[in-house]
Amino acid sequence: MLALATMNGLVIGAIYALAALGVSLVVGIMNVINFAHGELYILAGYFSYILADTLGMHFVLAMVLAVALVFLFGIFVEYTLIRPTYGNDMYSLILTFILSIVLQNAYLLIFGPYPNKPPGWVGGATHVFGAFYYGNQRLAALVAGAVVIAFVFVLVKKTWFGRIIRATSQDREMAELNGVNTTRLNMLSFGLGCALAAAAGVILAPVFPVTPTAGVPVALTAFVVVVLGGMGSLWGCVVGGLILGLVENLGAAYISTGYKHVFNFIILILVLLVRPAGLFGRREA
Amino acid sequence: MLEVSGIDVFRGETQVLWEISIRVHLGERVAILGSNGAGKSTFLAAVTGVLPPRRGDILFKGESLVGMKPHQITQLGVAVVPEGRRVYREMTVAENLEMGAYPKRGRAQLKKTMEHVMCIFPVLAGRSRQPAGTLSGGEQQMLAIGRALMSRPELLLIDELSLGLAPLITKEIFRTLDNLADEITILLVEQNVEQALRHSKRAYILESGRLTRSGISSELMEDDDIRRAYLGL
Repeated sequence: MLALATMNGLVIGAIYALAALGVSLVVGIMNVINFAHGELYILAGYFSYILADTLGMHFVLAMVLAVALVFLFGIFVEYTLIRPTYGNDMYSLILTFILSIVLQNAYLLIFGPYPNKPPGWVGGATHVFGAFYYGNQRLAALVAGAVVIAFVFVLVKKTWFGRIIRATSQDREMAELNGVNTTRLNMLSFGLGCALAAAAGVILAPVFPVTPTAGVPVALTAFVVVVLGGMGSLWGCVVGGLILGLVENLGAAYISTGYKHVFNFIILILVLLVRPAGLFGRREA
Repeated sequence: MLEVSGIDVFRGETQVLWEISIRVHLGERVAILGSNGAGKSTFLAAVTGVLPPRRGDILFKGESLVGMKPHQITQLGVAVVPEGRRVYREMTVAENLEMGAYPKRGRAQLKKTMEHVMCIFPVLAGRSRQPAGTLSGGEQQMLAIGRALMSRPELLLIDELSLGLAPLITKEIFRTLDNLADEITILLVEQNVEQALRHSKRAYILESGRLTRSGISSELMEDDDIRRAYLGL
């Protein structure tokens, strides 16, 4: 049971980390908290369901297309809803909250309350460590999550785009004086944040089917992960995501499934008592 | 090269600068002097596009900068060393310099310019992998200047070079800038009147948002009023 719960924790943890990276990126650069993050995660799940199941596309193509569509949707949201609110963080908070409710109800209207599931990528199960059988689909999700996380790290640490992201989140006005078009960067990074939520969504949807409100707990956990790991830290997102994934599943396995989400907040409170800036947070932040 | 004519600048609803007119010619080094709160930094904010003036015009190589965004002005060849240095503390020295080369004009010859900058400030070469936040104040100032040079600017604006630095280090950095003289036009904004006059050709004096004096630096240095007001002599 221990090994199984650990594996489940790793799979979910990787997805939490992915969703948290998206939140962290947007908070770090724009100081905007996107309350509709979970609904974009779900949106990508629905897109991949429609494209692969209804339209019969290959699942990889459907996933890539779903993420791309959510990226464009994110850019549209930034342009129409977020951009006019710069200078007042409260407005964007309220607007994205409204957006999340609108999207949830739109999903309910279009897809109904039933769970929808895009086709799995692989079937069968693998004998892991000679200890237990584990679904291949979940293993594939873990690998895919890790690949996307690695991609984000390379993007942020090694490319010009990553350099201007880091510079802008440290000193926005200075970055502008160094020639960064911060208005365009905001739009791109908001889109990218949404695309990361979408990547988490398309990877996990074949395992956990999407429903109109299934994004709420994922987004909530992503916010917890960002605070737990420390604002603006990539490693914080990864480590925090894995910790929460593991705690949640081990707690559910050994204590009670009913308290699944309580464990997260207990961990959060304990960590913040000792390190108020989060695990990898900057002290002054 | 830079021609500022009659600008009025506001911070919010408060007017900070009144009818400021300044000219900087190609290859010249000009200083704007004044005490704390005289509006020196606001003037630079107006030139760099951070705080557009409400009236008046700013021409750079004959082109009006009014209405342009800071990142567009940077592309034209204006670079700034901001007050308080504002290096990207969590990025390495090399990454800070690379950020300076982000404008198109800097990116083409990034490697060559970086070698050149490391030549000017050898201390940066030894620390290129270190986070900028771990550098001393003087080293951070050198990094901030190096970062500005990375965009291969034609006009370099320097805000309060001496702020928070030991006199000896200030002197050393000023001397380094003197050696750059023929490559680049420099507009210096300073509270440290003595150093600034010594290292500039012409100077303007700013008092409570208005220009009160201007002239050749060496003559201003001999002026009794200025000696009394700013040099404590």
